Parts: sequence; structure tokens; C-alpha cells
Amino acid sequence: MLKLKSVKTFVIASAVSLAAATGALAFPDKSIEYIIPFGPGGESDISARFQQPFFKDKFGQDLVVSYKPGGGGAVGWAQLNSMTADGYTIMGVNLPHIVIQPAQKDVGYTTDDITTFYMFHYTPDAIVVTADSPYQSLDDLIADAKANPGSVTMSGSGKATANHLAQIRFDKMADIKTTYVPFKGTGASTTANLGKQVKAQWGYTTVGAAQGDAVRMLAVAMEERHPLFPDVPTFKELGFDMVGGAYRGMAAPKDTPAEMIKALSDAFGAINADEAFRKQMLDGGFALLDVDSAGMADFMKARKDEYIQAATEAGLLN
Amino acid sequence: MGFEHLANALTLTNLALALFGVVAGTVIGSIPGLSATMAVAVLVPITFSMAPASALILLGAIYTGAIYGGAYSAILLNTPGTPSAIGTTFDGYPMAKRGDGDLAVAIACYASVFGGMIGALALLLLAPPLSSVALAFGPVEYLWLSIFGLSLIASLSTGNVLKGLAGGALGMLLSCVGVAEISADIRLTFGVSTMIGGIEVVGALIGLYCIPVLIDLVATPERHLKVEQGVRAVRFREAALIAWRSRLNLLRSSVIGTVIGILPGAGGSVAGLVAYSEAKRTARPDQKFGDGEPDGIMATESANNATVGGGFIPTLVLGIPGTPPDAVILGALLVQGVRTGPTLFDGGGSIVYTFIFGLFIATILMLPTGLLIGRYAYKTIVTIPKTILVPAVGFMTIIGTFAIRNSISDVIIMIVLGSVGWVLSRFGFAASPIVLGLILGPIAEQGFVQAWIIGDATGNLTGMFFGRPISLAIIAFTILSLVYPIIQGRRAKRILATQANSND
Amino acid sequence: MIETTAKTGRKDVGTLIIASLFIGLGLITLYDVTTYSDSDSVVFPSFVAYALIFCSVLVIIYSWLKPNPHNGFGSGDWWRRFLLVASMLAACLAMPLSGFLPATAIAFAGGLIAARHEGWDGRSAIIFALSGVFIMAGFYSLFRFALGVPLP
Repeated sequence: MLKLKSVKTFVIASAVSLAAATGALAFPDKSIEYIIPFGPGGESDISARFQQPFFKDKFGQDLVVSYKPGGGGAVGWAQLNSMTADGYTIMGVNLPHIVIQPAQKDVGYTTDDITTFYMFHYTPDAIVVTADSPYQSLDDLIADAKANPGSVTMSGSGKATANHLAQIRFDKMADIKTTYVPFKGTGASTTANLGKQVKAQWGYTTVGAAQGDAVRMLAVAMEERHPLFPDVPTFKELGFDMVGGAYRGMAAPKDTPAEMIKALSDAFGAINADEAFRKQMLDGGFALLDVDSAGMADFMKARKDEYIQAATEAGLLN
Repeated sequence: MGFEHLANALTLTNLALALFGVVAGTVIGSIPGLSATMAVAVLVPITFSMAPASALILLGAIYTGAIYGGAYSAILLNTPGTPSAIGTTFDGYPMAKRGDGDLAVAIACYASVFGGMIGALALLLLAPPLSSVALAFGPVEYLWLSIFGLSLIASLSTGNVLKGLAGGALGMLLSCVGVAEISADIRLTFGVSTMIGGIEVVGALIGLYCIPVLIDLVATPERHLKVEQGVRAVRFREAALIAWRSRLNLLRSSVIGTVIGILPGAGGSVAGLVAYSEAKRTARPDQKFGDGEPDGIMATESANNATVGGGFIPTLVLGIPGTPPDAVILGALLVQGVRTGPTLFDGGGSIVYTFIFGLFIATILMLPTGLLIGRYAYKTIVTIPKTILVPAVGFMTIIGTFAIRNSISDVIIMIVLGSVGWVLSRFGFAASPIVLGLILGPIAEQGFVQAWIIGDATGNLTGMFFGRPISLAIIAFTILSLVYPIIQGRRAKRILATQANSND
Repeated sequence: MIETTAKTGRKDVGTLIIASLFIGLGLITLYDVTTYSDSDSVVFPSFVAYALIFCSVLVIIYSWLKPNPHNGFGSGDWWRRFLLVASMLAACLAMPLSGFLPATAIAFAGGLIAARHEGWDGRSAIIFALSGVFIMAGFYSLFRFALGVPLP
């Protein structure tokens, strides 16, 4: 713990000096266009809004968030590389979206087209039930699904998404059959769960944070328990090797100069290193991630292999 | 809740913010393509440096102003400035055409203020219990609600119901283009990757409603709107009188708007359409809806402004945004460190109550500013020479459609759809059924697919679709609004016949 | 008016053509749904396509039996309509190359010429051109700077 702390202070110290250094290079000297390829209100939007004031604080320039929804993000990503590549236009990217979408169909971009420069958090998968649900633990749900195959309905956001993949993978691991009901976005899927239209929800830890006492999480797909939910076990503890969720970061058009990519990566790294930012994210149910532009290639390759394998096993790719 | 919150909301800064918000919102809402969502999203960073309550008041004021502003272009240009104002075009534009544009704008203002007040009142007094409405609506209820909205096609297409239905089907087909909303298939793009994003609803609205007006405008030298000759008295009072006579319609439409605003999957456009449908169903025999009937404007405008207050109910109580602008505001709240939930209304709810009173103040401020801006907008549109009106509006459609998601292909789709829509309208296929199909199609599809999956899993498909009380009520209303006009028509004929007999 | 009276008794060709195109559209959709991998995304479009075909067939029958003489393009200058739509489309195509303002100037000029029925003289041309520049500059700055839309 102590070690971690000293590492953190080191990171902060270096981030501060980096910020000072980039300040000397006068980056950024104007506001940065930050395009979210989804509508407002989702996890991508909210985490970008969290970054916004910190960016302004640290660098004195605005981070201007705008929305470009369509095609589950594909509309935005397909156009990313034709945008101004001066380092002042960036776009949010999501995993597994940018891996699964181009693998399934021609959506106007490929995974390798996207130049991601920083991955800053992920929302771990979680099974969410209402507070008065008969499922007290994951075992209850599994037992019910075993006794009545297919009758356990679970809401989730869209198809071929993190939620959907998680459902298919978990069904396989636990050897059960549940019915996945796709909704338009996490908000709609949460509403269906709260309204008891379905028996449980494949959501994220953020749902647990937002809904508080109204819901109970049965398990979360993290290596260790989320600090906000010390009582909720991980899938690993319960014997299921599931860690993951939806990962989010930022990308720039592919022609953006390397030094600008580096500067952007450093800038967002500095925000991620800010204790106040980390606390706000954790309180929102997010889990932080620090993958900068240098480590991106390895990270992306690992994720890509993992998702392609999972999606193939799930029968989502043909 | 109490007077200290009212006092908090009444500070000079907050009043100034509310005034600025309402005026800016009204102007933004009146420009087709500029939506409340966008206006609120642009202003969010500014609010970070404000007190949370003031920030909320500003955002709420812009939102409510923008929903009202949509009525101007609906009435004066036949183009809903926001999707919420679709129903306003049905009667607003005919009124403007016959020279009653100023009256229509004033009526819209009164209706919007009334609806806004009812919505805010519901938010103030009944938010936690009403939020359960959002949860009671499952996939099937959304399916039936969208079918209720689609039933309006039958009564809208006065000339030819068949053509209306064909138009509705065309609209629903257009709504399928692109990546399917809840499954991952790409539909009807024929390999063109620019079509993956589908047909943007607001762009389609601009095209289908505004382009035909422009095409007709340039073809002949006639004036855009009829202008009354001579000096005319201010028509605020006349409008107020009309609004007072229709208080029952206003109240009903506002309640409909509030309830539909609470539903996260519906929104202002659906609220306006359902309220319009109900107003039409309960109309007196001498009222001609679709032909410049003030009650039509009142129904949609009071309903869509009521969705502002209604939409905040699930946003603040459940943390589930009722409408897209609510989603942006929810994000701003989270950044400010405000946690949503029922507790927001119990103990430390000072921010919420200050905000709600701010919403009241903004709604009240909408009365003078709305009438003033409305009068000015009317005068401008009427007096501006056609030579400059056409290119200015044409320019606005291009820049507005582009701004929705910064896409040139959306603009091209808008123009092509508009031109096709003009040809169709010349042969009796009106724009409104197509638009209804486009907006309600996705709601119907998602509701159907989800209900089918759940019903299939629980082994009770019939019960799923026809066994739920709310569904049955909506089905009953749908049948009623389809059958009632026929009965009414028969009765009117019979009365005419007996009158004719007695005259003999 | 003369046009419409002359049409009475003839078939409403426009409606017939449009309805046939709708049927074609329905058939194309029915073909397109066969390529989908997820059965959930097939149900709705195929249902709507059948509905569209069904309604369009009825429209054709109805219109054949009872043509509506009021349907038609009516009077009006075709070149003005074409100029308006063509200049707007041209603006879209020119936008990626020339930037936003020069491109939309094409649309603006097209609309201006299409809508002017009174004829031109030097003075009116200058006045309209100036007010056009003023309106465009106003809206451009509102969108570009106040609302932060990245116009090309």
C-alpha cells in the first residue's frame, strides 16, 4: 500500500513537471474539440464531462465536448481520420466496440485505423438486480437459471456489446441458459431492470453507484473488489474467471503529428493522475486505467485478441 | 421545500441567468437544427464555475425556452424548430397562411407557459411517486404507445387514408436505415458506408417540412404569408381569450405532456402528438383540426413544455434522463457532485428545490419574452422580401442540419428527402405520416422485439402483449380515437338530416 | 386551374408511379432482410415492407378507379425550383473542397435568383447581395464561435 502511494506521488510529481514542460511548448494554445460518438448521458459522456473541468484547470484551455451519435459509435469513428489532424480534434473510443464492429461488418473503419492515445478508465461488468429481488447471491441466480433454462431474462445495452459478450461468456462458464434482452443504452436497460420488466441486468459498476440502495450487485468483473463496493464479490472469488467490461479512451486522427500525440497523452495522463479526479471517477463507479500512447499498441493487441476470441466463441462473428 | 428555496432562487444573479437562458433558448429553439440538447451541451462547461443551483437554473431555462422557440418556425415556416413542435405545424402553419400568424404565436406562448407550469408543479409536488410511471412502462407499453401515435395518421390524412398509411410505412422503413438500434445488423444501406448512421430525424424533419415550402415559394410570385391590410390591434388579448376558452384542453394536454415526459423512451415529440390526437378526438364538431384550429397548437405546445418538468422527474429521482437535454444536465449535475435519487427530495434537497423554483421563474419569464420575441419574429417573416427570405431559410437549413452531427451527408439526405417529399405531397402523400413513421418506428420496433423476447422466455406471449393493464388502456384509447371520428361523423350527418327535415 | 380541369377523367399517373416505386422499395427491403444475421432485426423491416406493399397496391387500385384531379405539380416555374434544389446540392458537394462559406454562397445566390420575380437592377442586386453576406456572416459566427460547431 505504502509502495503504491509513493508510486502515485511520483506519478503526480512527474505529471506536474510534464504539465509545466508542455506549458512551455504552449500546448494547448486553443480549445480542444472532444467528440463523443454517442448521445449524451451515457458512460462515455459522463466520464468526458468529468475530465472537462480538470483539463481547464490544468491547461487553461477548454475541452469542448460535442456529440456525434449514430451506428453505435461507428459514424464517428468512420470519420475520425478525415478530421483536422492538428492535435486539437480528438474523439472518445470504446472497447469492445472498435474491435467487434469492424470484425462483424464493413462499418467504414478498421480497428487499426483508430489511433488511440490514452485509455483512461473502464466500467467493469456487473450483474445488477433490484433491492427486493429474490436473488440474494450469484448462486441464487445460477440455481434459478439451472432449474428454469431460458426463463431468467437479463437486460443489457445493445447486442455485440460488452454486456452481451459478458452474458454469453458467463452463461458458458456457469453452464446455464439465460435470455438476453437488448435495450438502447445502459439507461434504458437500467429502467427495465428497476421496473422489473426483466429479472436481472448485465450492467456495470457505474449502475450500482448511480442507483445506490435501489439495486444490489451480485458480482463484479474485476481483479479485486471495487473500493466503492467492498461487500460485492468479484466473479473470480466466486470461481468464474471473468475480468473486464467496457474500456474508454481517446483517439486522434491518424495524421496527427507524433509529438502532438505524445502531448495529448501526457495531458490526459496528468488528469488521470489527479487525486481529485480519481476520487470522482471511483465515486461514480468507474475503475481507472492508465494506458498511455507508448503502451497502447500492446494493450490494444491484447484486448483485440481477447475480444475476437470471445466473440468468435459466442458466435457473433461468422 | 419552502420559502427559503424560493428566496434562494430569487437572487438577482439567478433571475438574470433565467432571463438570459429563456431568451437564448427561445432564439436557439426557433432555428431549425439547433436543438435544446446542443444549446445545453455547449453551456455545460460555463456552469462548472457556478454554484450548482444557478447552473441548473440556467440550463433549465435554456431548455424550456428552446422547446417553446420551436413553435415559431413551426408556425411561420412550417418547419418544426425542434422535433417537439411537429404537431404545431399541423394547425400553426395554416393559421399563419391565412394571416393569423401573430395570433398563433401568442397562443403558442400562453400554452407553453401553462404547460411548463403544470410540468414544474408536478416536479415540485409529486416527483417521487410519479417516477414510478417511468418504471411501469415496459417494452409492450412503448409498443402500444407508438401505435397510438401512429393511429394519428388515419385522422391526419383527411383526403386519403391509404396514402397516409403508405407514407407511414415508408417513414418506418426509412427509420430502419443504418445500424439497427438494439441488434448489431446494418440495414438498408446497400453497402454505402455513409448511410451507416441512418437518417437523422431532425435533418429529415427539416427536409420534409421546410424544403417543400421553399420549392413552392420560389415557383410563384405570391407572398409567403397572407398579410392583413390596415392597422391591427395587438392580438395578445384575443389569444388569451381563446386560450381561456380552451382551458380544459390545456390542462389535459399538459397532464399528458407531463406523464409522457416521465417516460425515458418517449419525449416531447411523442407527447405533442398524443396530446394533439386526444384534443382532436374530444373536439367539438365545428372544429377543423389540421386547418388552422387554435386548439391544435395549444395541445402540442402545452404538452411539449410540460415534458420539461416531467422529464426532470426520472432524471432527478431515478438518475435516468427523461429526454436528451436531461441527459446532458444529468452529466453536469454529476460533475457538480450532486447525487441523484429519492433522497435528493427528502433531506438535503435545497439544490433541487432552488432549481424547481428557478424553473417556475423561467417559465413565467417566458410569457413576456415569448410574446415579445414572437411578435418580432412574426413581423420579420411577414415583412422580409421573399427574395431574401428563401435563401436565408435555405442557408439556415443547411447550416442547421450540418450542426446536428457535423455531417455533410446529413445535409444531402435532407435536401434529397425534401425534394422527394415535395413530389410526394403534390400527389397526396403528405409529409406528416412519413415523419410519424420515422419517429415512432424505432420505438415500435424496440418495444416489439424486447416484448417478444421476454414473452417468449416466460412462455406467455399473449399475456405479454394483451394482458397488462396499462397496455390495455392504451389499446382502448387507440381504438377509441380511430372509431370515434366515424361515430361523430354519423351523428353530425344525422343532426343535419333532422334539421333539414324540420326545415321542410 | 385550366390544367387541372383538363386532367379530369384521365388517370392520376403520378400517384400510380409513386405507388409502384413504393412497391419496388418494399421488394428491395424484403431482399435486403435476407442478408441479416440476427433474426431480431429482420422482423420489423419485413413487416413494414409487407405493409408498404399492401397499402401501395390498394392506393393503385383506388387511384385507378377514382383518380383525384387535384393531384399534379400545378403551375409555377420549373427552372426556379430546379435552381433552388440544385444550388443547395451543389453547395454540399463543394463544401469539402472550398470550405463552408464559399460553398453556401452558391446555395444562397441560387436561392436569391430563384426567388426574385420582380427582375433585377443594379441597386437591388447590391442590396440583396449585401444583406445576404450579412445574414450568412451572422449565422456563421453564431454557429462557429458561440456554439462551437466545427464548420469546414
